[in-house]
Amino acid sequence: MKCIITIELGTNAVRIFAFSLNGTTIGSMKGYYPTFHSQPDYSEQDPEQIFITMLYVLKNLINEYIHPKKYKVTSVCFSSSMHSTLAVDKHGIPLGNAFTWADNRAKKEAKEIKASALEDVMYNSTGMPLHPMSPMLKIAWMKNNDKQKFQQAGKFLSIKSYVIHQLTGEYMIDYSLACASGMLNIHKIAWEPEALAFAGITSDKLPALASVFATAGTLKKDYQNSLGLSADTKILIGSSDGCLATLGAGIWNSDKATITIEDSSAVRVVGKKILHDEKKRVFNYLITEDCFVSGGPSNSGGGTFEWFAKQFGDFTSAYDLNSCMNSLLLEASKVAAGSAGLLFLPYLLGERAPIWNPDARGMYFGINIKHERQHFMRATIEGILYEIYSVGKMINEHRHISALSVNGSFATIPLCAQIIADMFNKTVYVTKNANSVGIGAFLLAATEMGIFKSLDDAAGQTEIAHTYSPTEKHHRVYAGFFEIFESLSHKLGDEFAKISALQ
Amino acid sequence: MNQLLLLQGSSEELRAFPHITELGTIKNTCVNLNAFPKAAVSGIKLFFVLDGKFQWTLHNKEHTFYPGDVALALPGQEFGSSSGVLEIGSFSFLHIDARLHMDEIFLDKWSSLSENEIAAISKILLLNSPLIITKFNEAGKILKCIQQEIFSQEVGYFARVNNQIDELFIMLTRQLTRQNNPGRDFSKTFMKLEEALRRDLSHQWTVDEMAVLVGLGNTLFNEKVKSYSGFSPLNYLINIRISEAIKLLKKSDASITDIALDTGFYSSQHFSTTFKKFTGSTPGNFRKNNSYIK
Repeated sequence: MKCIITIELGTNAVRIFAFSLNGTTIGSMKGYYPTFHSQPDYSEQDPEQIFITMLYVLKNLINEYIHPKKYKVTSVCFSSSMHSTLAVDKHGIPLGNAFTWADNRAKKEAKEIKASALEDVMYNSTGMPLHPMSPMLKIAWMKNNDKQKFQQAGKFLSIKSYVIHQLTGEYMIDYSLACASGMLNIHKIAWEPEALAFAGITSDKLPALASVFATAGTLKKDYQNSLGLSADTKILIGSSDGCLATLGAGIWNSDKATITIEDSSAVRVVGKKILHDEKKRVFNYLITEDCFVSGGPSNSGGGTFEWFAKQFGDFTSAYDLNSCMNSLLLEASKVAAGSAGLLFLPYLLGERAPIWNPDARGMYFGINIKHERQHFMRATIEGILYEIYSVGKMINEHRHISALSVNGSFATIPLCAQIIADMFNKTVYVTKNANSVGIGAFLLAATEMGIFKSLDDAAGQTEIAHTYSPTEKHHRVYAGFFEIFESLSHKLGDEFAKISALQ
Repeated sequence: MNQLLLLQGSSEELRAFPHITELGTIKNTCVNLNAFPKAAVSGIKLFFVLDGKFQWTLHNKEHTFYPGDVALALPGQEFGSSSGVLEIGSFSFLHIDARLHMDEIFLDKWSSLSENEIAAISKILLLNSPLIITKFNEAGKILKCIQQEIFSQEVGYFARVNNQIDELFIMLTRQLTRQNNPGRDFSKTFMKLEEALRRDLSHQWTVDEMAVLVGLGNTLFNEKVKSYSGFSPLNYLINIRISEAIKLLKKSDASITDIALDTGFYSSQHFSTTFKKFTGSTPGNFRKNNSYIK
């Protein structure tokens, strides 16, 4: 029997799944790797540890689920988080750690572009809002601040490109991840000269561009032996976690949107056209020549709620953080929609879409003498979701959204899914398999094999487990408060800048 | 200066306890210049503040000690007041004979702690050094009990005193791990463990030591690490070891045996088999294919 393996190189861990060709999960395993924060704004990971952890988990999974049942692995399909940057020397040996997507050290470089006419040029050609996490800016940072490393560098890779290079010896990057670098011209499907010039590099310093369906060479002999995989196992470069989560949620070329909320979150739509936003707030990832994943990312999400639980949760009876969060959710669900007029701005980590303001900060607004502890709990959850709503509203300006598919550990909590349905006043679907990134990678690999005619066809295969319908009464409550929420997040611009400068 | 002081060699009461070199309580009623200078400690010295406020320096760290606070000076560490002044107040202290060798504290036969337990306790104490433990009244109670037992010499006092010293080590270690791990945030706890492992990668870590380090019992520790990282504690450690070894193989010309020992494998043979299991090639072949050092 044949099977497909998917490998997700996520923010904190690698998650590997094995699927039979009809899409049922054969088995899954994960392996954690650490992130190092040696200074504020720095966020780094060790590429060797990521590679070894991936290899170890892959080997364990194959030994436990694949070999005993004599499955034949036809392809291994990769996905990864976006915006990571790793300099390697001319032999491919890493020059220090990789900068993760959360690394914000290139703030100055971002400001430099924002103050110039280059910002419009870049957005028009790359379809990416400008943010310090962009690899283009990270490379420029190295050029300005770590000259030795910059000069020694033979290539600038993403973590996924590095891992694939270890396995096959090829330097490749798929279109969607290349978009995340902020250097791909999505109209011409080629590296954008203006972006390369700003980063201070030529295109030979970047991996080769390839379609999301591309095979990245052959698995090296040593790994064929140690993993027990044959030489004809396809190593598919795949896409990014965000794009594949969208595919896995069943949203493809339709008028639906996906909402993913893990630690941070995003709202995405898929279509044949680029969404060009005058205010440069919407991202566009190229998947194939006529297919784009567009949307907006938010820094708030489950991570924000976790912060609240750690600071204000009750740990006297809770066994750990999860049980504490569950009891908070239970208490919050007993409070009426709208938290009796208590509002929360969730900008603990600054914000990307829709306000794109790294200086934004959090706030509780409208506190009165009658508010109790549980109002703060619910307001925190509602604040995170108002922010998601405002990202959705921004996308809705470009493309009408008729229904939503939610995924990610926070969005699929029943209380949250219901609030999302109420805020948007739209039906919310939760797909059967919670692991939408893995499913997305499976659908991509299966399409590559010819099992599905197209990605559209593949996306139609996802099954729905739960449906949440909006409650009109609650929608009116939320709509009233959202107006205040939105105007606060814009009005406070000056104060955000001042307080963040003092912090 | 009002005091109660037992000194090994001159106090009859301590004859049965050769490992206790000093035991006492000092009540200081006026500021004394040059009465408490900094000096290196030969064994292990524990101070427990009963009253007043003291500005002491332990192993280069200056700290203000209030009632209930404990300072624990390990062999070779300097302890005292950097100005030499002894402030008004009172404190109890215990000085026991102990040696420090290869990052391990050696106690003599009087202790009933097992070898593994002492190894784990040593690790925690050294990792958290300088040892300043705030609001730890338990230590005061134990010291008081030791003093009473030694003076009253009732039946079983010999065993009881030694047990109480063991108890002191156990409670201090537990308090330290608790102070460090508030429990609500396992990701933080795990990061701390990960740092400790990296800092001392050549050490032959046991699961017991790791569990004690983060203040959890063995079973719960295993369970939490497994669910958080996807690996058992020892397998997670192997990930770090192999990753570090790969870097050294690629970038340095150190011998494979040296790399093996530096990254915590107990022999180059052990390194070689583990490495091959992961990567499909031996460290030697891996280096040939991946290193460009001339």
